Amino acid sequence: MAATAEAIEWVRMERLSKVYPNGTVAVQDVNLTIREGEFLCFVGPSGCGKSTIFKMITGLSGPTGGTLEVMGTSPKQARKQSDTAFVFQDHTLLPWSSVLDNVSLPLALRGVPRKERKAEAERALELVGLKDYAKAMPRQLSGGMKMRASIARALVSKPKLLLMDEPFGALDEITRQTLQLELLDIWRQDPKMTVLFVTHNVFEAVFLSTRVAVMTPRPGKVAALVDVPVPFPRDESFRTTPEFGRIVRSVSEALKH
Amino acid sequence: MNEELATGTTAGPGLHPHPAAPSAARTGKRRSAKPFAGSRLLRMAPPLAAFVLFVGGWELVCRLAGIKPYLLPKPSDIVRAASENASNLWVSVYTTITEAVLGFLLSIVLGVAFAIALASSKLVERSVYPYAIVMQTIPIVAVAPIIVIWFGAGINAIVMIAFLIGFFPMLSNTLIGLNSTEHNMKNLFYLYNASPLQTMFRLRIPAALPYVVAGLKISCTLAVIGAIVGEYIAGIGGGKGGLGYAITVSAARLQTAYLFACGLSASLLGIAFYLLVNAFSKWMLSSWHESEMNSSEG
Repeated sequence: MAATAEAIEWVRMERLSKVYPNGTVAVQDVNLTIREGEFLCFVGPSGCGKSTIFKMITGLSGPTGGTLEVMGTSPKQARKQSDTAFVFQDHTLLPWSSVLDNVSLPLALRGVPRKERKAEAERALELVGLKDYAKAMPRQLSGGMKMRASIARALVSKPKLLLMDEPFGALDEITRQTLQLELLDIWRQDPKMTVLFVTHNVFEAVFLSTRVAVMTPRPGKVAALVDVPVPFPRDESFRTTPEFGRIVRSVSEALKH
Repeated sequence: MNEELATGTTAGPGLHPHPAAPSAARTGKRRSAKPFAGSRLLRMAPPLAAFVLFVGGWELVCRLAGIKPYLLPKPSDIVRAASENASNLWVSVYTTITEAVLGFLLSIVLGVAFAIALASSKLVERSVYPYAIVMQTIPIVAVAPIIVIWFGAGINAIVMIAFLIGFFPMLSNTLIGLNSTEHNMKNLFYLYNASPLQTMFRLRIPAALPYVVAGLKISCTLAVIGAIVGEYIAGIGGGKGGLGYAITVSAARLQTAYLFACGLSASLLGIAFYLLVNAFSKWMLSSWHESEMNSSEG
């Protein structure tokens, strides 16, 4: 719904390829454009190259062929402008820092003054419903709350591009569904925020995204792009509509190729 | 011991944060520690009884068998020797404490500093660390005379020996700690454009603290040993000798009871050092690291 034809291109991949030194073709000829305000999910089995694409977009590893532009520049440059933020499957909270200090870490690394840092971190914690837990230590939180703190840390810098690599992969189904709803709420509050979400869960991908990129392995390529033309806000009832089932089926079909 | 963990992890259901939950999690530790206080006394009773039996038996056997005090003094002889020479003993203990503490502090400061330097550059680490390992294997007693030649007999040489013996455990433990930072965490810092200095001080050093503490625990007892060995070799008398010096002198004079008193003081010193470091480690890590949580169970 947010993506229109004139919207700015946040990520552009042209014949993007990645061949590892041992000859493994992780990603082959991926053409994909991600526009401002989109919520795009990469879905596919393990080894389909979705994490490799994720790493290339973050700039953790470079492509071996084709072009990749993030916000009109190279991934590393985009990261330097600090318009991108990251959430991983592992919450990666520092165990010796309070939740507040963990959430304000990206700002601290950028040298933002303490007072401003605290205000921003409190805002981010409010967004994920953890504002009463600012002083708690990570080990005192449940798995779902740790992931919330991790998401708050990503939101603290008001990113334009939020990159999430299987963030709910280690959570139980109930917590996972709650967090999916909360994530959609947060995303909708900022119409310019673009989310790239990697998952191996078809239901999760369809529920969350405006568009699903279906990936197949050996070699990793985008087998299909499936639109999810269902308006927001989406709630729990969306999971049981016939339309949801239809889109899940077409994604599953594409996965079999 | 699971009580505290339970209050920690069930602080909230993960769905609807409740304002009362974090304070419950924070006080959880104190609440669960209380019921153990009584049982701790009960647990102390058997070793105390064993101690009393052992000392009593020792005294009795010595008296009944008429063992000569220069071969095996009675516990009462040792206590008398200690109290009669209390001022001398105190000077010796005090001297040894000074030497051991200075050596220990030096080994902490230099051990950690060198580890940070080595961890900052793979090239430096690869070129220097093998020699550090080789140096670690040199028996300290073998090089002690050289140190005496360089630094002269007395406190300087003794502190050097106490330092050298504690330095390598600090260096290698800290270095292992600095190099075992979680890969995901390092990626996170990299992605948020952290400088190497920021990564070192905000991530690698805090993550290495449990290893540093393990090094401290080894080095603190080694520093006491180092100080006493140093006194054997480089100790000077003149009323200011340390425990090592007092031990050599009383052994030469066959003052076995005082020898025992010195030996006991030395072990008590080592234990005291260890307990201090242990308390420090608990204070430092208890809020976040597994090794020092639920520590009432020891």
